[in-house]
Amino acid sequence: MRWFGQLLPFFRSSGRSQQGRRKAQHSSSGAGQGPARSADLNAALSRSLKKNLADVRRLLGDSADLTVREIGGSEGDSVAAVLYLESIVDSELVNRYVMTPLMEWTVGKLTGDRIAHVRENLPVGRLQELNKMGDLVTYLLNGYSIILTDGVAATFAAATTGGERRSVEEPSSQTVTRGPKESFTESILTNMTLLRRRIKSPDLRVESFTIGRKTGTFVNLLYLEGITLPAAVKEIRDRLAKIDVDSILDSGYIEEFIQEETWTLFPTIQNTERPDAVAAGLLEGQAAIIVDGSPFALLAPSSFVKFFQSSEDYYSRYDIASFLRIIRYISFLVSILLPSLYIAITTFHQEMLPTPLLISLASQREGVPFPALVEALLMELTFEVLREAGVRMPRVVGPAISIVGALVLGQAAVQAGLVSAAMIIVVSFTAIANFVIPTTNMSAAARLIRFFMMILGGTLGLFGIMSGLMVLLIHLVSLKSFGIPYMTPLAPFIWNNMKDVLVRVPWPIMKKRPMVSGQHNATRQADSMRVPSGSDRKREGGDR
Amino acid sequence: MQATSQQQLASAVILFQLGSSPLFLLAGPAKGDAWIAVFVGMLAGAVLLLTATLQIYRKEPNLSLIELLPKYFGRVLGTAIALAYIFYFTYKSVRNVREFGDLLNAFLLPNTPLVFLLFMVVLLSAYAVYHGADVFFRLTELVLPWIVFFYALVICFVLLTNLVHLENMEPVLERGLKPVVAAALPELISFPFGEMVLFLMFWRMTDSVSRTFRTTIMAFLFAGLFLVIANALILSVLGKMSFFTVIPLLQMTNLINVGGIVERLDPIILLLLFTGVYLKQTAYFLGAVLALSQLSGSKWRRCIPPIGILIFAGALAFRSYMEQVRIGFKLNLNYHFPIFQIVIPYLILAVILIRSFKSRRAEN
Repeated sequence: MRWFGQLLPFFRSSGRSQQGRRKAQHSSSGAGQGPARSADLNAALSRSLKKNLADVRRLLGDSADLTVREIGGSEGDSVAAVLYLESIVDSELVNRYVMTPLMEWTVGKLTGDRIAHVRENLPVGRLQELNKMGDLVTYLLNGYSIILTDGVAATFAAATTGGERRSVEEPSSQTVTRGPKESFTESILTNMTLLRRRIKSPDLRVESFTIGRKTGTFVNLLYLEGITLPAAVKEIRDRLAKIDVDSILDSGYIEEFIQEETWTLFPTIQNTERPDAVAAGLLEGQAAIIVDGSPFALLAPSSFVKFFQSSEDYYSRYDIASFLRIIRYISFLVSILLPSLYIAITTFHQEMLPTPLLISLASQREGVPFPALVEALLMELTFEVLREAGVRMPRVVGPAISIVGALVLGQAAVQAGLVSAAMIIVVSFTAIANFVIPTTNMSAAARLIRFFMMILGGTLGLFGIMSGLMVLLIHLVSLKSFGIPYMTPLAPFIWNNMKDVLVRVPWPIMKKRPMVSGQHNATRQADSMRVPSGSDRKREGGDR
Repeated sequence: MQATSQQQLASAVILFQLGSSPLFLLAGPAKGDAWIAVFVGMLAGAVLLLTATLQIYRKEPNLSLIELLPKYFGRVLGTAIALAYIFYFTYKSVRNVREFGDLLNAFLLPNTPLVFLLFMVVLLSAYAVYHGADVFFRLTELVLPWIVFFYALVICFVLLTNLVHLENMEPVLERGLKPVVAAALPELISFPFGEMVLFLMFWRMTDSVSRTFRTTIMAFLFAGLFLVIANALILSVLGKMSFFTVIPLLQMTNLINVGGIVERLDPIILLLLFTGVYLKQTAYFLGAVLALSQLSGSKWRRCIPPIGILIFAGALAFRSYMEQVRIGFKLNLNYHFPIFQIVIPYLILAVILIRSFKSRRAEN
């Protein structure tokens, strides 16, 4: 994007600011004039209301939803005007809190400082004084109502943002049986509400960015002062400020722009649609990024083991949570290795199998025209096709797919002698194991790695698989997420953090924050919160 | 680059010491007392480590082996010795690569050409070296628990199968201590207990001199004791057979049979051995690359291709596994390696001590 910035120097704008929106941007202004030019946008407002109105109309190309309500005086000779975009304001708000007061004051009769009068008397919380055309347009496009008065080269923008929004619903991709059932929506304000309600601490910091020259998307960076590593926050802030693109339509864009390593199959930034997961991440020293228009928040820095933790681990009992955690790691390994191991053992190392099993497998494969590798690749690809079909197809045709998938491709393929029954079992179990991984991006990584492993196992046997695993391990330990090694706390090994990796120990034992925060403000429980030992209980009994 | 933590150093030392050692029956000439010979060798190695290698590190904690050579031996002699060390590290890597390739050919992939396997093996190492020392150390940290777990599992299985016959090891010290010591010295110092000289390249990446000192010794002793136990186990299970088999450990695990369910563990044992050999060959590869870059002053990643090609070519040069083993155990261990592992370290230490003594007197 650098070269683009240099080609069009006027499009470059200040990286980050709390209120200042990106200036050079916005939709085409029709009438063959081409896009809004920076000269127009940087121009100061005129003292003449008429000229200002004409300029705005020209810049927006007379958009149909631009509403201009002129007040006082006769038509074409008014003293004030209210402008807003019908499509993104709450007209109830505009009418009641902007229009009504203005009409009642009969602005035309006002003498003296009209600006001061508006500032003091307009009953709107967010009121911004502007004096540049560009700012005016930006606010207008963000759902503010603009109040222009004649004879003053300044204007006010009143927050009247509205429009249709989805309500808070149950999470669709990360479901739990026990635990909060709210999920993020597309509105950044709603999402902030959900988070603020969960963390009522003054330490929760929110920094706002506007990213995307055309989309002007609001992006909030959240962290807990004193818990999140300042270095990580700074790194994220810098990388967010560097993003200079046309559009941000989902947090996925942000993820790819700020991640440390692009050429990897592994996700180094978590995403979640669960506000409680984000809150937990914040409390464990991660920073969160929420993007307007996306119900998926990002959490960074993140590590490999984080992708195997589900919110429910912390809400259900520790014993079952630990058991399921281990099941997930095993499933991950199965999902990567099972088909390749099957191929390698049946092709190269038959001596490893017990004789009866070997005979049974050999008899099944009798008449199968392909080598095991081709057979497995075919079936895995078929499954991936079925899966993608299941995701993309209209819901009504769902049953049809399952019938075709299960009966025709499974049973019939075996009966026709195209594939062996054992292969179907291997492929199906691999597929099911893949669904156990609680985060979709990690299971996607497993799906892709599986194919590499299958080819390695089919060409070099166990040695190939071992080489693949070694490369995978080296790659994993070389990855970093915002300066934190990806395999923390396994390598570098941090004993204290192991309480929440392979197992999830009971809450009272997890005294220290895991992982990212390291030594930084580590204690999160009062000393009295320890698990009562046998002797403690006896003593309490004695007291009673 | 982050400082190497003590856990990482410990895992690297342990895995490096294990390396390819379980492949062979160490101190075979001592017959039934081989495990005592291994113990003696370990003690001798520990003495060498304490009095030479670690002392050099203590005197010059911020210099690597290659950097301190010119300082104490002058430019010409120092550079010559440094070059010799680069050659030594490379050669050690070559031996491991060749072992790796030959074993693959013999046990897992009999139909794949050796050239291709060697190429893969070197490539695999180069990939790890490319990511640098800190990644390599983190890798050892990640792998160590698994290696320990699997070896423990194998030992459990051996015990469960009731394979241990302690009478195989009797009578203890039948012919006195002399043949035992003769078997241990100097072969066992050369391989594997004297090889710690490589860590003169790595120690300076750690954070604390005194803790590094302790960690190294502890890890070294842990690995040494493991080798003693493994040796004793093999002897007690296989008895006289252990002197004739190619890989005694594999022969032993072949006999494992727990309730008809756990058997045929060979491929797993092989993978375990390969991991060890791989990590060791990579450590030497890394050492050689770092040494070359420090000596020549070029970026270390640029040194990977020349060293890698050298290793690949060197591994191809052996005519057979037997020749490789013969050269290694008959010639290298007795005549060549001690120069690098014992003679030069003591020489360096002597020069350091004389220098510091002189300078102290000059100050006074």
